[in-house]
Amino acid sequence: MSDAATVDFLAALPLFEGFDRAGLERLAGVVRRRRVRADQVLWRQGEGAREMFFVLDGAVAEILGLPGGRTREVGRASAGETLGEVELLDGVGHPTEARAASDATLLSLGRLGFTDLLAGQEASVFAFRRHLAELFTTRLRAELGLVSEALGGEIAGPTGDDAVHTFSELEERPAPDSAYVRRMASFHGVDPLALWGFLTSGRYVYCPQGRVLLAEGAPPPAYYLTINGAVEKVLVRGHRRVRVGLAGPGRAFGGEALIDGLPSPLTAVARERSLLLVIPAEIFERLFHGEDAVSRVFLEVVLRDLASVVREALRPYARVLLAT
Amino acid sequence: MCRILAYLGDPLPVHRLLYETDNGLVHQSHSPRMMNKFLNLAGFGMKAWDPASLHPQEPFSYQATTLPSYDRNLRSISSKLGSTCLVAHVRGVTYSSESAVAETNLHPFQFAGAGVALAHNGHLRQFGRMRYALIDHVRPELAQRIEGTTDSEWIYALVLSQLDDPFGRPPAAELAEATLAALRVLRQLRAEHGIDTSSPVNLCLSTGEALVATRVSFDYGWYPPDDEMLETDLPFVSLWYAIGGEYVSRDGDWQMTAADPVRSLLIASEPLTEDLSGWLEVPEYSMLTAELTPAGLAFGTRDLDV
Repeated sequence: MSDAATVDFLAALPLFEGFDRAGLERLAGVVRRRRVRADQVLWRQGEGAREMFFVLDGAVAEILGLPGGRTREVGRASAGETLGEVELLDGVGHPTEARAASDATLLSLGRLGFTDLLAGQEASVFAFRRHLAELFTTRLRAELGLVSEALGGEIAGPTGDDAVHTFSELEERPAPDSAYVRRMASFHGVDPLALWGFLTSGRYVYCPQGRVLLAEGAPPPAYYLTINGAVEKVLVRGHRRVRVGLAGPGRAFGGEALIDGLPSPLTAVARERSLLLVIPAEIFERLFHGEDAVSRVFLEVVLRDLASVVREALRPYARVLLAT
Repeated sequence: MCRILAYLGDPLPVHRLLYETDNGLVHQSHSPRMMNKFLNLAGFGMKAWDPASLHPQEPFSYQATTLPSYDRNLRSISSKLGSTCLVAHVRGVTYSSESAVAETNLHPFQFAGAGVALAHNGHLRQFGRMRYALIDHVRPELAQRIEGTTDSEWIYALVLSQLDDPFGRPPAAELAEATLAALRVLRQLRAEHGIDTSSPVNLCLSTGEALVATRVSFDYGWYPPDDEMLETDLPFVSLWYAIGGEYVSRDGDWQMTAADPVRSLLIASEPLTEDLSGWLEVPEYSMLTAELTPAGLAFGTRDLDV
């Protein structure tokens, strides 16, 4: 494959929509072409992440190992698709094994090259971060789809009528101590001034235990960030209810549907009394599409949280599979 | 912060669980993978039930405040023990002069004559404010056996106090109900004393034939502004399990083999291997119960609402 062909391939990927030709040429100089045979293991579940792949041709299966040596294919990356980007972002081990489903040609991007793509203040970097968030959201919906399929049955539980519609339904509270917020793992290493800009973009509300904040299938009114307490994210099918995540301090919910414009893929209920930062949809839109320091921190927080959520959603799937 | 390990099932060399995997319990004392900055250097303890031993209903007990990595006695003894049930614990405490490293504070706790042992990963915040209110809920004959300074030993006495016979060997269902009752007492007393800081209570209790484990925090996610535990508690008070036939090494990879019915259960604060594929995370607000029966291992999970 010539350099020009590599650039053309990269240019066609949604992830790099914001890149100009020069940027793509620089990226083409960093990626390595790799040919793999069917059944070749690219990485094992739990291994530290060193690279991500873009599939030029062929396909790579993502395989979840289960207790007792069983396995289940949970995803498949075909030509023009990617795998491994979540692990490069959060630096934790691979949540699944990657195994070539056929002979395949891949482009490999190492950790350093990936980190470079996230650095800088150019419009292309902001666009790359947004596209990553969209990709993570797509992955999350696919994983929740697997859980839902394994559960079987119709969507049940709270409906949009049960969920919070306007924030005046919740008691407004003052902003928390900034030093406390900065110590949350989600905010480590980010510009404190810009962080404060993001954290003062919305309102702080107290939510009593048991309050439904989001209903699966309904549009979310806001992006929520838990400051204190915990909000559980659940799927309810018939009489079965599975928790697919728990948003404790520094963790968010509601963002997926604001990112892709689809209804909420899950229901969110306050498991504990909770103090929440509420960022209404219109402010989320402004922060998500902005290109200043505050938006940069906001995108960083959104990406970190989504990466954790994507990783964690496979855990209830494994439990449901084992139970069925 | 601490790390817990529990096993129930076919006889298994204790050495395997403590030393042989790439993230065994002894490794977790100095290099835990799922803790932020705390190490578990304040002592090791275990209860191991061996059906071939004298008095098989009584576990072999070992506790030492020395670092388990350097403990030749532990290494030697564990290589000779084949156990159907194990509860082991490495203790981690905050780096403070207020913390007491002493043999009387080592888990698992088991009062003389009692059939239940308990290990705890977590801490009841501001416990000093509610400690002596617990006396109304703990049987006098148990309260007088408390020797150490930990909240965990009080929790142990409180659980035993909920049993019909605190010195008996209750089945898993009764032990689970007693644990739930104890957690409700703790929640009530915390509320009465105005204690509302996040307090994880991951417990592991066993009689040698029945096993109960909880993953739960009171007031999850609530911290005072200057509280350093915010960065430490939540993701790191984890609990995982592996269930199946036998925990063995195949081509160098440790895994629980498939079995139907299942015969063995491993529970650990963090998986014993870097490879997580054989492990399932116990969700927050959950309880696991298990019991050895002639038909295999009876296993159950339930949501905890305490």
